[in-house]
Amino acid sequence: MKPADSLYRRLLTWLLVPVLILGGLMVAQAWLEARRTADRAFDRLLEAASLAIAEQVQWQDERLWLDLPPAALEMLATDAEERVFYSLVDRKGRFITGNAELPDDPRSNRESDDTLLFRNLEWQGLTLRQGIRRSQLEDWRQSEPFEVRVAHSREGRNALAHELLRGNLAYILAMAALAVVVLLLAIRAALTPLTRLRRAIRTRDPRTLAPLDLTLPRELAELRETLNDLLARMRRVRANQERFIGDASHQLRTPLAGLSAHAELALRHDDPRRWREALVTMQATSARTARLAMQLLSLTRLDNPEYTPELSELDLAAMARQAVRDHWAHCHRDGIDLGLEGDSGPIPVHGVTWQLDEALGNLIDNARRYGARHVTVRTRAQPPTLEVEDDGPGIPESRRLLVLRPFHRGQHDSEGSGLGLAIVDGIARTHGARLRLTDGQGGHGLIVSLIFPREAP
Amino acid sequence: MTATALRHLTSALLLTWWSLTASGEETLHLPAEPDAGQARPLVIHAALDLPQARPLLEDFHRRHPHVELTYRNLTTLELHQRFLDAPDAADVILSSAMPWQYRLANDGHAQPLDSRAARTWPGWARWRYELFAFTFEPIVMVVHRDFRERFGELESHGDLLELLADHPRELAGRVITYDPERSGAGYTYAIEESRLSPRYWDLVAALGQARTALADTTGEMLDGLESGRYLVGYNLLGSYVRDEVADHPDLSIVMPEDYTLVTQRLAFIPRQAPHPETAQRFLDYLIGETGQRTIAERTQLGALHPALDGPGTATALRERLGDALRPIALGPGLLATLDELKREALLSRWTREYRRWSRRPEPHP
Repeated sequence: MKPADSLYRRLLTWLLVPVLILGGLMVAQAWLEARRTADRAFDRLLEAASLAIAEQVQWQDERLWLDLPPAALEMLATDAEERVFYSLVDRKGRFITGNAELPDDPRSNRESDDTLLFRNLEWQGLTLRQGIRRSQLEDWRQSEPFEVRVAHSREGRNALAHELLRGNLAYILAMAALAVVVLLLAIRAALTPLTRLRRAIRTRDPRTLAPLDLTLPRELAELRETLNDLLARMRRVRANQERFIGDASHQLRTPLAGLSAHAELALRHDDPRRWREALVTMQATSARTARLAMQLLSLTRLDNPEYTPELSELDLAAMARQAVRDHWAHCHRDGIDLGLEGDSGPIPVHGVTWQLDEALGNLIDNARRYGARHVTVRTRAQPPTLEVEDDGPGIPESRRLLVLRPFHRGQHDSEGSGLGLAIVDGIARTHGARLRLTDGQGGHGLIVSLIFPREAP
Repeated sequence: MTATALRHLTSALLLTWWSLTASGEETLHLPAEPDAGQARPLVIHAALDLPQARPLLEDFHRRHPHVELTYRNLTTLELHQRFLDAPDAADVILSSAMPWQYRLANDGHAQPLDSRAARTWPGWARWRYELFAFTFEPIVMVVHRDFRERFGELESHGDLLELLADHPRELAGRVITYDPERSGAGYTYAIEESRLSPRYWDLVAALGQARTALADTTGEMLDGLESGRYLVGYNLLGSYVRDEVADHPDLSIVMPEDYTLVTQRLAFIPRQAPHPETAQRFLDYLIGETGQRTIAERTQLGALHPALDGPGTATALRERLGDALRPIALGPGLLATLDELKREALLSRWTREYRRWSRRPEPHP
């Protein structure tokens, strides 16, 4: 199992890894520097020894002559007891004298006559540092170039380099340890506000939606503000819910009180005709109440944010035909002309059949209630659209948003519950469809359109 | 490569002058004891006469009876040449030719010895734990009784120079020393002495003025001194002289109190030694307290071990002579001794100084 990701560990990794890489680089650099320093120091020996030898080179008996000073060789060996090699070479590179035929240095002279070249050398299985001095004998008539080559093994240099490195290493390690400790403390300190925030949230009363009041660094203050925004939204949602519940209970209480009053009134009479009248009224009221309860239930279901219905493929045209068929008799009885418009071809959309049925039902019902004479159910293929048009009084543009709220009704309205359009709006949202309210043809009446998103191919 | 060949040739020539031992090959074979376990061979190539080496070898063999020991005594020239020809033939190389031994080790022919004895060995008597000096042999003067009776005691180089300058006629032809041109040892001493003091050249001039005889070996000088032909022998190898002097009451050894050169025999284990394990055991013995005690008590070579004292040890010599002892330094300066041009330069100077007075007209009496 993967260990849980931790902000602390993440910070630690991202800070420690660069610090350690940096430390490694410093160690490598210190090693190179130590070697360079040791070489610089020990190259002085090669320089001095080659000079001591070069000073003894003479031109004698028509050839180069050297009275080798033993001290020059002893100079090359330090306490580390290096192996020592030297040779004298003439202008043509011929070996004159020496204890080893040291190789030439391929680099050429610099501008000056007297040149000194140092290099590392692998020679006959030995690791050497070689110094070559190119010089010349100045005579009255001629100048005779020659080359003194000296070399010694690297023990002394390595010992010095190690010593220098040890000193530097202690320093670097101390720095690294300090850096790590400071980092640990810094990360801990930086994460403290987070802990405070966590504690503050944990110790809250779970029912309270009051904003968090806590001083925090900027980055966390943003988080706190976001949280407070969320809390504010939740407060609004709760307020809406409370109002909805209040409205709903009020809406239910009124018809129930009506029923009770009718029944009471009827019971005071002995005339069966009055009873019948009361029963007819009570039947109509209870039917309306039942419808209201149904609508409240569907609205509650649609408003539940957890609710995600399973969408299936269906044919919008077929659905419109069916709705017209279902509602035709009803409308015909009331003298309303219910018509269908649209192409005969299928219009595929994703949706929930019962919800769309409900929406169509609501819209036709609404039209009927608000006194329309002609109601037309219309479908369009591009984009998939379902429309219900009526020639009723319509809704002024300024109130079109308001009517989508639950329990909002047009004025002087006694029949409707005020939930119809709110339910249609909820269904539209569930389907990802756009709800549009526009004026009917000729500027009166109302067109309610459900415009579905285009089907992905 | 011609230069290399030339150098090898001149090296060989130089070595011919070196030989201290006149004769050719001597061998000693000590077989392993049959009941001492598996025989372990050990081959030693050395320039050290058998009478000096035998007590050491026998003592070592007694302590390590499973070692099958082959000892081959060669001249320094043969030893060196044989080593270059076959660097994997011997397990231990012992030689008095310090520059040659040093050069072989410097060139990487030796392998290091890691043992307690090696680690405690004095730093001035070893090089890199590869090359070990195991003897301490002063260079001495030998004086005949006649000389002492006529000129008094001779105690230092200064005395000798003074006597030679004061009595050139009486001492003419009565002094003998090494010929630096023909003897490698004599050449080494000359180089060391010339580095010690510029007055050495005055001494050479005085020796020349006294028409000093020049010999090739210590033995040759001893012969002349025993016969009474020479009164003073200058620069003889102390370890070879002691036994002879003990047999001839006329002769006495003088260790100069101003400075006494000390030469050392050097031992190393070749990198390609066929039996490195026994080689390390032998070298460890050689510089260990046991081996050094044997050197002190049963040879004239002089034991170097700092823990030993009494006759035949470096400690005893130091007590007598103190700072006057000048061991030849075991360091890269030895390489200069082998430089061909250096040799030519030194010898020409030596000859010039030796003839300093004979070229000039004799001072008016």
